[in-house]
Amino acid sequence: MLVPKPHATAIAGMLALLVPGQRAMAQNASELETRLEAGALTTSRTGQIPQSTFQLVPGFRFATPRFTASGSAAAWLGGQQMQLGDASAALQAFTPLLYGIRAEVATNASRVVRDLAVESDQIDAEGRLHFMRQRGGLWLGAGVARPLRVAAVSNVNVSSGGIWTRFGAATLRGSVTSFLFTKIASRADSIDGSAVVCPAHVSASPAPADATVGPADAVGTGCRHTSRLTDVESSVKWEHHLMEVTVRGGQRFGDRLDVTSESRQWASAQAAIWVSSQLAAVAGGGREPAQPTRGLPARSFGSLGLMLAYWPIPRGTVPVETPESMVHAFALRAAGPNTQRVTARIGGVEKVEIMGDFSDWQPMPLIRRGRDLWELLVPVAPGVHQINLRIDGGQWIAPPGMPTLRDGFNGEVGVLVIGR
Amino acid sequence: MSMTRRMMAVLVLSAGAATAAWAQDVSPAARELDPLGRLSEGSRYQIELILDSARVAGLPTAPLESKALEGISKRVDGRRIVSAVRMVFRSLRDARSVLGAPATPDELNAAASALRVGVTRAELAHLTQIRRDRSVTMPLVVLSDLITRGVPRDTASQTILQLWQRGAADDDFSGLWRGVERDIVSGTDPGVALLNRAREVPPRGPSSQPEGSRPEGSTENRNS
Repeated sequence: MLVPKPHATAIAGMLALLVPGQRAMAQNASELETRLEAGALTTSRTGQIPQSTFQLVPGFRFATPRFTASGSAAAWLGGQQMQLGDASAALQAFTPLLYGIRAEVATNASRVVRDLAVESDQIDAEGRLHFMRQRGGLWLGAGVARPLRVAAVSNVNVSSGGIWTRFGAATLRGSVTSFLFTKIASRADSIDGSAVVCPAHVSASPAPADATVGPADAVGTGCRHTSRLTDVESSVKWEHHLMEVTVRGGQRFGDRLDVTSESRQWASAQAAIWVSSQLAAVAGGGREPAQPTRGLPARSFGSLGLMLAYWPIPRGTVPVETPESMVHAFALRAAGPNTQRVTARIGGVEKVEIMGDFSDWQPMPLIRRGRDLWELLVPVAPGVHQINLRIDGGQWIAPPGMPTLRDGFNGEVGVLVIGR
Repeated sequence: MSMTRRMMAVLVLSAGAATAAWAQDVSPAARELDPLGRLSEGSRYQIELILDSARVAGLPTAPLESKALEGISKRVDGRRIVSAVRMVFRSLRDARSVLGAPATPDELNAAASALRVGVTRAELAHLTQIRRDRSVTMPLVVLSDLITRGVPRDTASQTILQLWQRGAADDDFSGLWRGVERDIVSGTDPGVALLNRAREVPPRGPSSQPEGSRPEGSTENRNS
């Protein structure tokens, strides 16, 4: 199946995504990310020679405190044609946090196009209940996925649960997700042409799910097989200064019919290094398991890319959060004789300033270094100092994490004690 | 016609001169040379009187100038700035009378801040009398903060005094502060939070020494 110059169209569309959006929908603490990654990809199926392709992965995410919209795509380009296209759009909505409990509704629509001929669509909906505390939490969820166009599988029942906690700059997550669906063992219905084998057939001659069977095996009315997969996955996300690193690993449980050897275990890592306040270089690699309901095979990948982030700030809106609660971290560390490195983690703002007796109370703007990291080297001699912090030109406040004093002007200052 | 041109030239020159004068008045260089220049004449005169009084009394003027600059940066009315600077001056003077001449500027500042939040001179004297060769700055910073956060003054003073007597170090005080702050944010009564957290501070050995028996080399002994 030859399609003239699919690369140019695909690449042009993906590059367009790298143009940051406008602030039309801006709300407080909202942010927009666009990313484009390119790299090598190797797909593997049992009984088949692994295929290597070139992969382009554009994506975007727009997040506010109440909802998140995201979209991503992948184009697997081999030779002169697109071998597989995968696109999905997701929307998540959250309720306000009440007594540490928050509800979430997530919907997802996706399409897989193989060889520009075979198409598979799927719509997912899931509800989750989050129990959140300061340093950790857990969630329970249930949902359903409905494949369209191709009846290779019936409705997919999804149930999930997870737990997360924070250790310093690291966030640890663990989750268990169970999929229950019925496969229709007809080759004609299969998305990727690899047939699903009937149980009776298996009992005589066991074969893995992705194995290609002869035409004689696929002819007939087909049969049904109930599949149950359970994915156990854990991840660590570590943030340090200008770097974000995420490492994931997982194990899939299920019988041989449902889980091929390529999808038993997987692991991947991704790193983002912010090279400016709004531009990050991203790199990733590893192995991803198959998505049997969507017809995506297991794959190994390595990619490099760029991420552009944009943090639109509203004008004239009532802030949802107080300035103090927006500061996730504030710290000073020695960076040389009489010099301190001020770092603050404040998301969704445009300007952060400090001032104190060390600057003769002249405001000093911090420099944005990443998604929510602000930084500045400040000349501060050992001793006791007073310091104030201001976000987006608002009120001067005492930075969190240090003793405070009333300033005599109906405000407060932070008291900074630097050892000699 | 020439008359009109002359008038135009005069107007342009006048406007230029006025603009230059205004620009000079508020230029950063001018502000750097005279940071108090943004105050009104009356406010500035009163602050200079206070600074002069501080010099005569041998008090550091940096905290006073700093308070004035802070008020200017926060765009506070001149009269309130004068009032705040005067309050700092008085508290510094009281702190000096309690701590004595050898107190460091940091100790003096911390003691002045403690007096401003309600610590009495007697409590301050009690705290400083039992100190050895260590700076009383950190205990005073924590004490002032605790009172600001709603811990009853008596409870805060007595607890800090007891810890100071037990030899608590600066790290102990900062750890105590962090714990109390966390508890208060979680909804615990400030006084209860302090008493609970104070029990967690480990004893550092006997450090309470009677007045007059300070170790050799301490600043008090050197100057007495």
